[in-house]
Amino acid sequence: MTDTIERRALSREQLLSAYRMMRAIREFEERVHREFATGEIPGFVHLYAGEEASAVGVCLDLGERDTIASTHRGHGHCIAKGVDVGEMMAEIYGRRTGSCHGKGGSMHIADLSKGMLGANGIVGGGPPLICGTALAAKIRGTGGVSVAFFGDGGSNQGTTLESMNLACVWNLPAVFIAENNGYAETTASAWSVAADNIADRAAGFGMPGVIVDGFDFFAVHEAASEAIARARGGGGPTLIEMKFTRYYGHFEGDQQTYRADEVERARAELDCLRRFAARVTETGELARADLDAVDADVATMIDKAVDDAKAAPLPGEADLLTDVYVRY
Amino acid sequence: MARSITYREALNEALTQEMARDESVIVMGEDNAGGAGAPGEDDAWGGVLGVTKGLYHRFPGRVLDTPISESAFIGAAIGAATAGLRPVAELMFVDFMGVCFDQIYNQAAKFRYMFGGKAVTPVVIRTMYGAGLRAAAQHSQCLYPLFTHIPGLKVVLPATPYDAKGLLTQAIRDNDPVMFFEHKALYDLAGPVPEESYALPFGEANVVREGGDVTIVTLGRMVHTSLEAAERLAADGVQCEVVDLRTTSPLDEDTVLESAEATGRVVVVDEAHPRCSIATDISALVAQKAFGALQAPVEMVTAPHTPVPFSGPLEDLYIPDAQRIVNAVKTVTGWTR
Amino acid sequence: MGDAIVGVVANPLSGRDIRRLVTHASVFPTAEKASMIQRMLTAFGAVGVHRVLLSTDLGGISAAVFRALGRRGAHGADARWPEVEFLDGQPIRQTAQDTVDAVRRMVAAGARVIVCLGGDGTARVTASAAGEVPMLALSTGTNNVFPAVREATTAGLAAGLVATGAVPADRATARAKLLEVWVGDRAETALVDVAACTERHVGTRALWEPATLTQLFCAFAEPDAIGLSSILGQLSPVGRRDPHGVTARLVPGAPRQVLAPIAPGLVVPVGVSEIAQMRPGAVHEVDASAGVIAVDGERELTFEPGERPLVRLRADGPRCVDVQAVLAASAGLGLLLREHGGGST
Repeated sequence: MTDTIERRALSREQLLSAYRMMRAIREFEERVHREFATGEIPGFVHLYAGEEASAVGVCLDLGERDTIASTHRGHGHCIAKGVDVGEMMAEIYGRRTGSCHGKGGSMHIADLSKGMLGANGIVGGGPPLICGTALAAKIRGTGGVSVAFFGDGGSNQGTTLESMNLACVWNLPAVFIAENNGYAETTASAWSVAADNIADRAAGFGMPGVIVDGFDFFAVHEAASEAIARARGGGGPTLIEMKFTRYYGHFEGDQQTYRADEVERARAELDCLRRFAARVTETGELARADLDAVDADVATMIDKAVDDAKAAPLPGEADLLTDVYVRY
Repeated sequence: MARSITYREALNEALTQEMARDESVIVMGEDNAGGAGAPGEDDAWGGVLGVTKGLYHRFPGRVLDTPISESAFIGAAIGAATAGLRPVAELMFVDFMGVCFDQIYNQAAKFRYMFGGKAVTPVVIRTMYGAGLRAAAQHSQCLYPLFTHIPGLKVVLPATPYDAKGLLTQAIRDNDPVMFFEHKALYDLAGPVPEESYALPFGEANVVREGGDVTIVTLGRMVHTSLEAAERLAADGVQCEVVDLRTTSPLDEDTVLESAEATGRVVVVDEAHPRCSIATDISALVAQKAFGALQAPVEMVTAPHTPVPFSGPLEDLYIPDAQRIVNAVKTVTGWTR
Repeated sequence: MGDAIVGVVANPLSGRDIRRLVTHASVFPTAEKASMIQRMLTAFGAVGVHRVLLSTDLGGISAAVFRALGRRGAHGADARWPEVEFLDGQPIRQTAQDTVDAVRRMVAAGARVIVCLGGDGTARVTASAAGEVPMLALSTGTNNVFPAVREATTAGLAAGLVATGAVPADRATARAKLLEVWVGDRAETALVDVAACTERHVGTRALWEPATLTQLFCAFAEPDAIGLSSILGQLSPVGRRDPHGVTARLVPGAPRQVLAPIAPGLVVPVGVSEIAQMRPGAVHEVDASAGVIAVDGERELTFEPGERPLVRLRADGPRCVDVQAVLAASAGLGLLLREHGGGST
């Protein structure tokens, strides 16, 4: 028992790291939001602002032998899993110095060396891949855990349901995280998820299903750390449903006429960073000065990432035909 | 003289030898062992037509049965490939590709390119194709043109037991995602196959019959039908060169063009539907790059633009036969402006 | 006397927390909660309840009942249901506040009984808002001590008989005890137990590790209970009708260890020392330096160094409908006897 308490009681370093990652995601997304409005960023971006506690609360207990797969709304998961922020920004700007040399873009940022199997442009594309990395970890005995992030929209995709069944049938070291931010594009999850709670489906597959307040870092981390430990110990998969809301639209440019005023209320009353800061300063685990230092650091990092990205070279004709195959 | 084994046995031998050689090779698919959770014997089938029989007991823990969840387990094979295994997954009938195509063409095929060269996905997806067993419309299609179309995939179609073993061995060793097509009517075909392990390179067509009058470009089961037609034509004094493409991606353009330039008359025989097929692909290639050598338009012998019918006489009409190939050859040899 | 009105509040989020993962706590389907409400509506109708006020939720319970109402009468002779009014119009926050708001509205509208469906948490929150209106807590799940595990139809009959006044309140209800806990000006109440815990944050709320518990206060501690009160239920049982409560220190290395079922599927040794009675009105201190106070098994009130939580047992908790007593009284009074051929009310 005591090791589980130790796992959940976070050290000063871990709390600072969690705050840094959440702040980095928030500032990254807010900055992309502003830059996208200038027209300089090509294609589509889907922002994760508001949901930081989920990515960070889950990834805090994951290491390099663990793998995650993400969605089209992947910047938060990438940052939480340790993908380089500068390379991410450059990729979003389509530069040759980007994580994918400009050939993937926002929806396909990946870093396999960090166990980040990619953001994914296909809803439900990640869960089957996670069954695969979990299978590989199990067969090779690495002790690695694989985590599939998907949204309320993705929870209805056949691939996701099949993957949950397969992970239970094969007893894989996997965790399924349903990030229910209330909307799949314009469609409310209250309408599209027939049982209203995604977590309720877990019982149908024979695994535990847990609902967590996605705005509460400590609640997320508690539940995720138990699920990850269970998977690592051979206990099989778990489904955790985060309930929260996204601060921005489905994509940048979405007028969001389908929403009410839930974002204002969330930013004012429920925001994960605000609550985290209030809690850790209340307990004395961290000082306001510590948090301010992180804020300043992150602001500098994001500024640099944007400046570097804007100045970096674009890929050229020589890059068009490369890396289709290892060897054709 | 190598011993003679069947196409099925040759595939099984390739798998056995590669699994013995490389621990990272695993096999998965519906009933690839057979009997999962059932009270009777394990390895009950070894695959629906027996290709994977025996592997389950020989390589414990490396042959996995799956539920009927193609998108999950094909996706899992792909994910496991990115994580250091070399999975050989079975899509039982290529006709089922509809339920898992995304994982193949949007995920596996694109990882290396989308991730800027940083992914390696050494997955093999074995699948059965082709008509002739009265299996009807949803279990008899070819569909390899759809996969050939996708950058990032390799597409392989062995015609003989010798090619089956060598090409499957290469597929497993290859570091790119490979779609490996096995014609269901060829499993019992016997032929000479060396006992030792060997790999045949992709992108190298095989000239299975030499001849100076007409080039027949073909693949898969149609190689045998084309050879049958070539025998009949030889009796009439027409010498056909039969080129077995072996792989449609990568494609051995050089061998095709060399033969086309030598004979000036080309017939393409492809069991797939006529639109956007290998037949049209080769026709365009020859028209573009060997136009000056052509003495006649390229003739295509393909299935009709219909689903595969069930009833025997209809299916026999559907599948290109030797007579239709003979007629096509006579068309190109008899063609005048 | 006015209309016989019953309020029914159901919690869609009960039974979906981390206990599904860290213990073997049950999953209670939403459809079953909706079905329980429908069974109660039939019972209410049978004994002459005029109107039922139903809480609304985003978890599918009220939606399912609404659909069932729409389908009624489609195939002829359905049993009579009372008039059903859905309490909507207020924002649904998907927090305990929804339950508080719903119960307050029911009380203000003249409900004579409040039925709540959920666990200990739901019962606790309902009790905090019900005032003097009797409540009947029905358990939806395995991890509960306070609410009754009872078939909804018979519970509905009992609640209906109390709401119509057919069974007088003094025979129908009993007052439960209550624990009050406060940290400065933040206060909470508990119906079963208050525990001091060394966890720093509320987090997922649930408690499942005895090593984190330092003190326990129980309004009652039954030997056959599940949950934290079972720790003292085996050592020093206290009944729901006993005037006092019981408290103890929980010390992992204590010489006296109790094997206690502190959660479904979780039977663990808990070290206990310094057991003492709690007299109503007496104030007890929590003497841990920092941590979280859990009420009825859920972490709720954080306290930091310098803050001293205080706990007090009160005898004036919620009035609770005693289903057995009501239906026994009904038998004695012949309330459910009908003449053959006479219609129902």
